[in-house]
Amino acid sequence: MKRLLAVFLGVLTAIGGFVDIGDLVANAATGARFDMNLAWAVVVGVVGIVVYAEMCGRVAALSGRAVFDLVRERLGPRMAMANLAASFFINLLTLTAEIAGVAIALSLAASVNYLLLIPLAAVLVWLVIWRMPFETMERVFGLLGLSLLVFAVAVWRFGPDWSTLFHDSATPTVPTTESPWTYAYYAIALFGAAMTPYEVFFFSSGAVEERWTEKDLRINRINVLIGFPLGGALSLAIMALSHLVLAPRHIDVGLLSQVTLPVASVVGRLGLAAVLIGIFAATFGAALETSLSAGYIIGQYFGWPWGKYVRARQAARFHLVVLIVIVVGALFGMTRVDPVKVTEYSIVLAAAALPLTYFPILVLANDRDYVGEHCNGRAMNFVAMVYLVILVLVSLATIPLMIITRAGA
Amino acid sequence: MTKWAPASIVLLIVLGLSGCVSHPVTPARSYSAYEGKARTTAASVRSSVATARLLAETAGDGKTFGGYAGMLASESEDELSSTIGTFDSIQPPNGRSQALRNELDALMQEALTHVTDVRIAARRGNLADLALFVEDLERSETALTEFLESHGAKS
Repeated sequence: MKRLLAVFLGVLTAIGGFVDIGDLVANAATGARFDMNLAWAVVVGVVGIVVYAEMCGRVAALSGRAVFDLVRERLGPRMAMANLAASFFINLLTLTAEIAGVAIALSLAASVNYLLLIPLAAVLVWLVIWRMPFETMERVFGLLGLSLLVFAVAVWRFGPDWSTLFHDSATPTVPTTESPWTYAYYAIALFGAAMTPYEVFFFSSGAVEERWTEKDLRINRINVLIGFPLGGALSLAIMALSHLVLAPRHIDVGLLSQVTLPVASVVGRLGLAAVLIGIFAATFGAALETSLSAGYIIGQYFGWPWGKYVRARQAARFHLVVLIVIVVGALFGMTRVDPVKVTEYSIVLAAAALPLTYFPILVLANDRDYVGEHCNGRAMNFVAMVYLVILVLVSLATIPLMIITRAGA
Repeated sequence: MTKWAPASIVLLIVLGLSGCVSHPVTPARSYSAYEGKARTTAASVRSSVATARLLAETAGDGKTFGGYAGMLASESEDELSSTIGTFDSIQPPNGRSQALRNELDALMQEALTHVTDVRIAARRGNLADLALFVEDLERSETALTEFLESHGAKS
């Protein structure tokens, strides 16, 4: 019974923790601009993260070491440094956006300019990392993030023509008002939002923090195979609501607050309160993950003691890195940089760097020295290789598309 | 790979930071280029006006709370003002472009007036009164849509 409860909570945490500011902005923006014609990109991205997150968790559980730690050992310091540099910079952009997202969620409830709340958000993020146990932190914000299910409720309350909705999702076209290049650019953005690198670094480091072993493999698979797709369904609900409410009114999503308005319009005050709580939890949880992820990859690359499971005094450098990135992210956010633009850039640039993150995971998941008899089977390798090809193509296309479309303008 | 890594990282940083600035502007050297920027601007203004209208309808129906309505209205107004400022900073390349600018400016100033009215009422907590502004906002949207259609926007 206890185990069943743990599994159930794990799945709920995975659902609630799946969506971050990148998913909120990308899905809402594409729903408003492209209707449901990019739903397929979310599905493709979710399958990708399921495949690679499962491998990541398996490697961490069986080796007792985080993926980034093993990348340096298995593939050499140069490969790890390239991965580190790209991931760290993208992490920092993402963290800036997430801290701003926390501040914006608070500002919409408190009626205070979000710039004044960024320092508060940063302090709260650091305090939670410093004081709250790892599992508690994951559970609390993951479960609170389930408030975002109000998007699905809103879609249902709207009462769309379901057959048309599913048909539009299943038969995508490039709208006549958009160019194929812009369509491709936003497909990459959605893909990048689903497969952001910090998620796998946090996932594998978290597995080490929670001291996963071989007996946790089944829970890992259940969380990933059930939790992540349901989280992806939530992303599609955000896209669908935007399509139903914002698109007919020609509203382009340029503000995080615009993401919440359709919920208020359809569900009312209770829905609005739920979505604000959900956005707060999702962005706060993601801020925790990206801050810790920065500390993890730096600590693991340089071989420092790292993690919340290590005594703070022993992992002083890890905690210092976490503190510094939070401060830098907050300061960058306070320069009035557009949080939505920062978000869009972070997910698109993440897409450009995806092969650096995921190729090493595939190598490790096939290495019996690390995973023993639990290395990838043929089917898993086939799917993973297909995705690796997709990742390389996405990576090559990202910067040219960014230039051609002027970042999706 | 190592040789290109630092250059790639610098490129990523430059691209990342340069794009985070709201409404980056390039000059317009011809009427068609200026008209293209006018279309983009009009679409952005229409989006801000439509957001204010949706907010006015939602708040008028009692589906929001005051703080939220005030903040969203302020953000929409700021976004609209910024869009107008960006467009006005672009030098019209010729007389025909100047006429286009005057036409769009008039529409944008009227739109800004209506969105400001929504912001003032929302900030004062007069949420029920927001419904009074819906008609004006709808008229602004229609005018901007007509502008877009007359200047080559695809529908």
